Amino acid sequence: MKYSFGPLLLSLLSCSLVLADPDYHERLNLQPLTPASLLASFNFWSKASLQSYEEQHFKYIPRSLGQILQHAKTRELHLRFSTGRWDDESWGARPWGGTKEGGTGVELWAWVEADSDAGSFARWVTLNNALSGLFCASLNFIDSTRTTRPRMTFEPASVGTNASTDNLYLLHGTLPREVVCTENLTPFLKLLPCKGKAGIASLLDGHKLFDASWQSMAIDVRSVCPADGSECSIEMEQTVDMVLDVQRSKRPRDNPIPRPVPSEGLRCDDTKPYAGSDFCYPSDISNGQSWTIAEIFGRPIQGSCLAEDSNGNPLDSVYIDVPNEREMYITSGTENKHLSGTCRSFTLPKSEPFEMVLSHLGPQTFNDHTTPPLYASRSFTGHGQERGGVQTLLTNPSLTSSISFVYFETLPWFMKLYLHTLTARLSTSSTPNPCLIKEKFYRPALDRRRGTQLELLISVPANSTVILTYDFDKAILRYTEYPPDANRGFDVAPAVIRLLSNDKKAPVYIRTTSLLLPLPTPDFSMPYNVIILTSTVMALAFGMIFNLLVRRFVGADEVEGWDVAALKAKLRGGVMVLRDKMMKKGGKGRKSINSSCGN
Amino acid sequence: MMAPGTEVGEGDRDYRLTLPAKSSKKPPPELSEGIRVRGLVIVSFWAVVIFLGLPVWLWTTSIHRARLPLQEMLDWADGKACKPTFPLQIAIEAPLLQDAEAAHLVHMTQHALDDLNEFSAHHLRLRLAKSLSSPSRRNASIPESQDLDIGQVFQSYEDLDDRDDSALTVRLRAQDGIQAARSALQSHSTILDVAYAPNQIPSVSSSSSALATFIANRLQELFAEEQAIIAYILSQSAAGIQSTSHSPYVSPATASGSREIRSRPNRLINPEMAARLASRMTRSLKYAPTYHITMSLFTPSASPSSWQIESALAEYLTPLLDSISAVSNFTVDTQVQLYATFSPSVHAPEHDADHGVWTLQEEDLSGFINAAEWPLSPSIGAGPTLNFVLYVPDQTTSPLVVKGSQASSWLIPQWGGVVILNAQDANTTSVGSTLSKEAIRPALLTFSHQLLSFLGAPQTPPSLPLQLQTLTRIRAASLLLSASSTMGSLARLTVALPSIAIPETVSTAVDTTLSHLRYTCNALKEGKFPEALENARIAEAEAERGFFEKSMVGQVYFPDEHKVAVYLPLLGPVGVPLIMSALKELKRMWASRKAQ
Repeated sequence: MKYSFGPLLLSLLSCSLVLADPDYHERLNLQPLTPASLLASFNFWSKASLQSYEEQHFKYIPRSLGQILQHAKTRELHLRFSTGRWDDESWGARPWGGTKEGGTGVELWAWVEADSDAGSFARWVTLNNALSGLFCASLNFIDSTRTTRPRMTFEPASVGTNASTDNLYLLHGTLPREVVCTENLTPFLKLLPCKGKAGIASLLDGHKLFDASWQSMAIDVRSVCPADGSECSIEMEQTVDMVLDVQRSKRPRDNPIPRPVPSEGLRCDDTKPYAGSDFCYPSDISNGQSWTIAEIFGRPIQGSCLAEDSNGNPLDSVYIDVPNEREMYITSGTENKHLSGTCRSFTLPKSEPFEMVLSHLGPQTFNDHTTPPLYASRSFTGHGQERGGVQTLLTNPSLTSSISFVYFETLPWFMKLYLHTLTARLSTSSTPNPCLIKEKFYRPALDRRRGTQLELLISVPANSTVILTYDFDKAILRYTEYPPDANRGFDVAPAVIRLLSNDKKAPVYIRTTSLLLPLPTPDFSMPYNVIILTSTVMALAFGMIFNLLVRRFVGADEVEGWDVAALKAKLRGGVMVLRDKMMKKGGKGRKSINSSCGN
Repeated sequence: MMAPGTEVGEGDRDYRLTLPAKSSKKPPPELSEGIRVRGLVIVSFWAVVIFLGLPVWLWTTSIHRARLPLQEMLDWADGKACKPTFPLQIAIEAPLLQDAEAAHLVHMTQHALDDLNEFSAHHLRLRLAKSLSSPSRRNASIPESQDLDIGQVFQSYEDLDDRDDSALTVRLRAQDGIQAARSALQSHSTILDVAYAPNQIPSVSSSSSALATFIANRLQELFAEEQAIIAYILSQSAAGIQSTSHSPYVSPATASGSREIRSRPNRLINPEMAARLASRMTRSLKYAPTYHITMSLFTPSASPSSWQIESALAEYLTPLLDSISAVSNFTVDTQVQLYATFSPSVHAPEHDADHGVWTLQEEDLSGFINAAEWPLSPSIGAGPTLNFVLYVPDQTTSPLVVKGSQASSWLIPQWGGVVILNAQDANTTSVGSTLSKEAIRPALLTFSHQLLSFLGAPQTPPSLPLQLQTLTRIRAASLLLSASSTMGSLARLTVALPSIAIPETVSTAVDTTLSHLRYTCNALKEGKFPEALENARIAEAEAERGFFEKSMVGQVYFPDEHKVAVYLPLLGPVGVPLIMSALKELKRMWASRKAQ
């Protein structure tokens, strides 16, 4: 299934616009999700002709990344850095249909050109090592145990390439333990043509981004060879999505501790019967929430970055999803209200700062968030350090249509899955229903060589929940295989769910949260205890044998042992002598005192 | 003091009552057999400890150190193992002369050359071209046509090189109507045409000839720069030995030996020349079979955001790179970087009202490249990266020049070059935010000039094949010396750090290096310079591999006291009875010897 993921995906958002086609454009989409939270989607898109890319003439595609991809013969790359959890109960469907997000930590998948499986893995390792240096992330730890080759879950986004004829191999790796932070954002911004100094990227700041409730940074590189035979091109898309807590973001940076609102600042709900000057029932924040860009992101937008079409006309860069009746003020640039009635866009001034104020005046309605097509949650069951189980709840909220999807999990090798215990049942029945799982693809783990790969084709009937369970054994690791904080547990990568649809729409992805697996953990002072205990036993044995060989055995009465009486007498004599000495000294002292008194 | 036994406690009294004979009862005297056996037991235990325990302990806790030929390595570093010589064969073609006449002329020219040459390591050997067979004629005739493809010339140059080792062919040709001899060097071949008046041929009996002196002078002139460079390289390495010879391995004889090497070329290089060569040598990059060239356009604002670099490269740089491709290959990549600001340590440009320009302070030039923010990481793949930065200043601080010299380009040794392209030059030729091919032409020409100086190419002689040959010899010499000095450093390091592990791979690398160094040295002596370069390259690569061996760099430091501390619970309880019994036994032996 081929699709174009530039303009098509943009149309998934409620704000959509036909874009002119320069080699670079960027846009920021602000979408209030609930009264208290705001989704900010930054998207940077750049393009270069495949010929200039292969001849290493770089312009908007960064040279550092381009050279790595060429060196590792990577045709298509998807790299994700994510933290936090998308709350689909209150926020609705995911932005970009989940195609621009990854599981917690780092996720990477790529199509690599090679002659064989082994060759593709060697290039994959090269790619990981190079990207690890570029993004200051532990990507070099994606080894064979963390690498899988998914069969059904991912489709190449490139247009005009054929994975089987071009000898392309798909490899996928996850690092759920990786903590995404500022050191990953800085190289991410350096890849942009304006380096975060101008344009919407100037809002990206580690303090705000990693303070968000949920954030995901994505890099996608793909090649596009149009069917009409025009020039092939290479496209790179960098995306940052974050959900900000408006109240939290509005706290001043130099004074971030939340404090009680002064009484004059309180907004009270006057409809309550007890309302009066002494009582205040705080009104819902949705009534009159106002913010400015500088309040939310810490600074205004620093001018525009290459936001012109080929004729030099400025392009809209900032979009916001609020009703047209709601009042907004901007310092400069132009405002553009769209016909849909709930969307407007702004152009940025060339070099002066751009500030936007969303006032609390006007209708406070929020766009009804779309219900996600599937809810998925995964958790551990069981207890003890020997075995456990995993239970995944997959809920289809649709009242009318069933849904089918690919459920993809990679489990570490020390989580030994029993495939015969893998069952799916409807939440309403207690017996497993074998019809729910349509297809299974299972690649068992090999100790210390590769992890388990499990791909299931599942279908969930309308308005029902499927419970997927399986059991596993916990392996005991070698002493050196434990990480520094072994008692924290071991992260298990999130499951990836790809929804299948019949029509040729862009795919929708959902990821569960990662799991924390407690393994039996040894006492780490053990080797020293073992050394000491063994040494003691050996020393005891040695001493016994040695004494047996060397000592002479005589009768008990023949022992020339210690003469206790003599020793006692000696000791007593010594004490007497000492006492005598002390007495003499004391006497002398007293005498001298006397004489001094006499004088 | 009371005598023992006069006062007894209650318990003891009871004891004595039941065993009245205790004080007098002695164990029966020990059998001599028993004493002997006990002695043997103790001795055997100690034997096990000393002959089995200790060696096992030492062996299991020791660091593996492969054997290295230290003395040989130091010999190479000190220049004792090889004194590189550069005998250049020069063929003389004199088709019109009698054999005897020609031989005499060659002899006299050789004599004159030897008189002129002050640097014995580099000398020219003349010989008469044996027979002018047809292939030689064919080769000789190639340069006649001037519109030849350069690659073809190189092909023919290599053919020539395969067949005979002569560095230069001197073609003598009689020409009527000229007074003095004239010479012309062909710029695309290794042929020196010498035209002479027929009456200049010396007779077999004469002892001096103007023609011979002329040829000798001309040849000496052609190779003067090469000689100076080689002499400089050799003297630098000798000086390096002098300054770093702290090792006890450097004997006084070595020191005097290297002094001798140094004193010889010093006559050839005057201080001014030495300074010029030094700056050129520090600037130039180490030899590599492949270099990466990165051309970057930096601008502090959003424009210009593109440049017509592809066509400009094809027109201005690619021909040059093609002509050097016989020595090294090049990859070229380009990038555009907007919003590139200076690092905070650089002073902002100052306005110079007198000249109407903005100036950068000269001491800031070293920090001009903002290494923290400008993405100028080396390219992936083997070989060094050369960076050429084209900086287009903002409209507000334009034109930007260097204070004092008013220059707008400079180079950073072994890293790359910088050119500031000032807007008013660019404005005339650029369309919108795109820099046209013509606008960047001067910058690219500056870059190509800088590129040649990074490669360390000599400026003379004007013939390109000769320059490349010279480059081969210079590279071979410098690689030979640098590999040798790496060997010396490795040897000194091995001696200085006794706790460093030396894996077998290092030993293998050292062996390979030394054997290739020997090949190089022999090849140089025989005048097979391409072969020498090839071997020197391998030697250098192997030497670096050995020196930067990973397991050697990350040495694990396990002090002996830690090992003892871990095993103290074993060593203590076992050691105490062993030592006590040994002492007791020794005491007994001492007593028995005294008794005797």
